[in-house]
Amino acid sequence: MTVATKFKSGRTEPGEAYVSDHSGSPHARFMRLTSYALVPLGALSAWWILGLAGKTLDGVRAEIGRPFPAIVLLIFGVVGMIHARKGMDDIIEDYVHDEALKAQALVANLWASRAIAALWVVAILLLAAPK
Amino acid sequence: MADADTDRLAARRPLSPHLTIFKPILTMTMSIAHRITGAGLYVGMALLTLFLLGAAVGGGAFSAVSWIASGFIGNLIILLIVWAIFHHLLGGVRHALWDRGLYMDPRGRELLAQGTLVGGILLTLLVLIFKTLAS
Repeated sequence: MTVATKFKSGRTEPGEAYVSDHSGSPHARFMRLTSYALVPLGALSAWWILGLAGKTLDGVRAEIGRPFPAIVLLIFGVVGMIHARKGMDDIIEDYVHDEALKAQALVANLWASRAIAALWVVAILLLAAPK
Repeated sequence: MADADTDRLAARRPLSPHLTIFKPILTMTMSIAHRITGAGLYVGMALLTLFLLGAAVGGGAFSAVSWIASGFIGNLIILLIVWAIFHHLLGGVRHALWDRGLYMDPRGRELLAQGTLVGGILLTLLVLIFKTLAS
């Protein structure tokens, strides 16, 4: 991301400027690495997510209450939301130009993504727990 | 005087990207679609989490959230989530190929853009057909 900081270049007078904090490469690498994991996780999860359509409660339990779907969906939710948080950071940084609002939006995104991932894990563990 | 002129000119200068000026080409549209499906999946995951929590609690909680995956709205939400997963997934594959310097020529990138669009719809339909046959 970029941060406003005191900046001096040979071309301009010293002043405020947007300069990189050099977090771009790790960010891009992180998105690529998580996306590789999300290819099989996403494809498998899409199969079971479609299976939720129009199901009764017993149908939902039968669809994703088994160990394999539950474990894959669990990992998909966690890795997916980490990837989604970073992606949403990009969107916020691109479109929110007010510095104070941008900082708030980034924090809101961090906690929203953590809440979704945590509740996703809890829900699947409860659904798949042996009765 | 010169400063005022420069400021006025700068204010009139259009901001990039020129979405209202560019001809909407397919590669650009697929880039925008990649971002929209990504943001959509964020919302979709929130909705699915709500649905799964309701199912985990059961009883009245499940009836309260069953609209997310049942009926016309629910079926549409689930189908859109599945399509968004496949579209975003293929968009990612496209970027992975570009990272390696492949398919960067005019014909190659057009092919990948078409592949993302058609492939996303095709994979969604395939899963829908196999899922219907399996149940």
